[in-house]
Amino acid sequence: MSNNQIKNKRNIKRFIPPFMRKKTFAYSMLTVNILFITWVVVTETGLADELFLPGPLKIWQSFIEVSTEGYQGNTLFVHVFTSVNRILAAFIMACFIGIPMGVLMGASKIARALLNPLIEFYRPLPPLGLYTLLVMWLGIGEESKLALLFLAALPGLIIATIQAVQNIDPVYLRVAKGLGASKKTILFNVYLPAAGPTILAGMRISLGFTYTVLVAAEIVAASAGIGWMIWDAAKFLLSDVVIMGLIVLGLTGIGLDIFMRFIGRILMPWTRYLGP
Amino acid sequence: MKNILNKVSKTLFGSLSAMTLLMMTFPIEAFAKPKKITVGYLNLVNAQLVTKNLGLIQKEMPGVEVEHIKVGGGGDMLRAIAAKQVDFGGLGNPPTAIGVTRKLPIDGIMVLNMLDFVEAMVVRTDANIKSFKDLKGKTVAAPFGSTTHYLLLQALADEGIDPSSMTILDLRPNDIAAAWARGDLDAAWFWEPNLDKAVKRGGNIFMTSGIMEKRGYPTWDVGVVMKSFAKKYPEYVEKFVKAECAGIDFWINNPAKTAKIIAEELSLDLEDATRMMKGTEMVPCKKQLTSQYMGTSDDIGGFADTLVKTSKFLVSQKRLPKQLKRKDYEKFLDPSYLEKVVD
Repeated sequence: MSNNQIKNKRNIKRFIPPFMRKKTFAYSMLTVNILFITWVVVTETGLADELFLPGPLKIWQSFIEVSTEGYQGNTLFVHVFTSVNRILAAFIMACFIGIPMGVLMGASKIARALLNPLIEFYRPLPPLGLYTLLVMWLGIGEESKLALLFLAALPGLIIATIQAVQNIDPVYLRVAKGLGASKKTILFNVYLPAAGPTILAGMRISLGFTYTVLVAAEIVAASAGIGWMIWDAAKFLLSDVVIMGLIVLGLTGIGLDIFMRFIGRILMPWTRYLGP
Repeated sequence: MKNILNKVSKTLFGSLSAMTLLMMTFPIEAFAKPKKITVGYLNLVNAQLVTKNLGLIQKEMPGVEVEHIKVGGGGDMLRAIAAKQVDFGGLGNPPTAIGVTRKLPIDGIMVLNMLDFVEAMVVRTDANIKSFKDLKGKTVAAPFGSTTHYLLLQALADEGIDPSSMTILDLRPNDIAAAWARGDLDAAWFWEPNLDKAVKRGGNIFMTSGIMEKRGYPTWDVGVVMKSFAKKYPEYVEKFVKAECAGIDFWINNPAKTAKIIAEELSLDLEDATRMMKGTEMVPCKKQLTSQYMGTSDDIGGFADTLVKTSKFLVSQKRLPKQLKRKDYEKFLDPSYLEKVVD
């Protein structure tokens, strides 16, 4: 191979993002492609009832239609925007409350004993059961929807943070204390940096869980939101809109997760790559 | 997932039973008897409660396990039907129009009830709503996809009022009652037994589904059977219709006892149950075969026209992709079981 050819190859490579150059990416694409081809085959041959599983083309058409003309008064963008707003608002609130609570509970046995019963009790409750009560208390507006998402996000954050704080090597603490560090310094320079990676992993899991509650949160008295759109379309057996909505929901979720990892890498450059 | 598993197991089961049928001798089919039937009934006030309470279906089918499942509204019932979780169901005209147009494998076999003031629009007394025009800027609730949602939008269209001039919320009947109690709503069009809770908490009735019927928009619930079930066990569909007809006759002939049954089934006061009963019109099975209702096998009646009208409306609302011809809605209505029972 001449020098020129090697240079050319490198030039081409530069345009492919690093994660796409990995072998694992090819395997991931294989799964996606197999799924897609099965979908096409099953729908084209009439093996699947069109009412339950429309073909990819139908889904694409409904994507275009809802993007341009909208579904029940709002375009797809508005639906996604409304939902992402709800999720982020609730999630950020949960981070601001859950992470400090977790640090507190991880560092202090008394705090853990005080707060644990509350969290352990409501954590396994099904969101819909909780929601009925939230609607009665907070009404049918945004408050109850945000509260449900918030409550879904909270336990994962707290538990991950407790774990993270408890797993900090005690040597770090002893060294810091021995060198005369104040409580504030210990919190910001020992606890948070050392616990950061585990907290970030907890945040990612928690955000994923918040996502799963979205449809439930938008069932009651919503008129926009991707979860509501899916729920409403299901009522009218518009399965193309339902499936399209689910795909968009999934992709938005992946997008948010990538965004979180990106933020994590900026805030905590010492973090090892956390895996896919 | 459950749906797929269900389907797989059903196909497996279907092919297995077909094989056994082949292996055995032919007269087996004449004795085809389901092991269990599932009846989905709507959470509203009609004679299906009587049929259930008196065990009339069970009496018609000794040895068959009969299960009743309460379903909140038409939207949920459609999903239950699409997932093949019920053998018999009940649907209001909008969900029926959706189901038939989307080619769900169901047949309409009888009239369950005509909706009068058992469905009504309740308005908050202090909201000062005297006409549909006064709804502008207010918060109105209705279960989307149901008969009342259909009537609300139809009434607004008739009065030339833009629905976007008010907030219309999608809530299920029990959620409407809860939101109403908190004072979140100004008006709601829904049905008993929850309607009463709103009336008792500072509401009064502004419009009823009975009045809308007189304006040319009848709403009703029709009894449906899964096509696959009807094909396999036609005699059992007849038995079901017979039992429901007996329930309707009981309702008409024994109002006092019926009220007691309804009070028991829905945990209501006897007085409330009596009033709600009057708000639902039961049609004797013989009358169901007249042109206003199901009609006869040779001459399908007015229900087909309601379905055409409802579908047309749903298409204009973009809730349905397209509309079918009257002929197709006629095919859905099958009065033949009624005809056999009445004779």
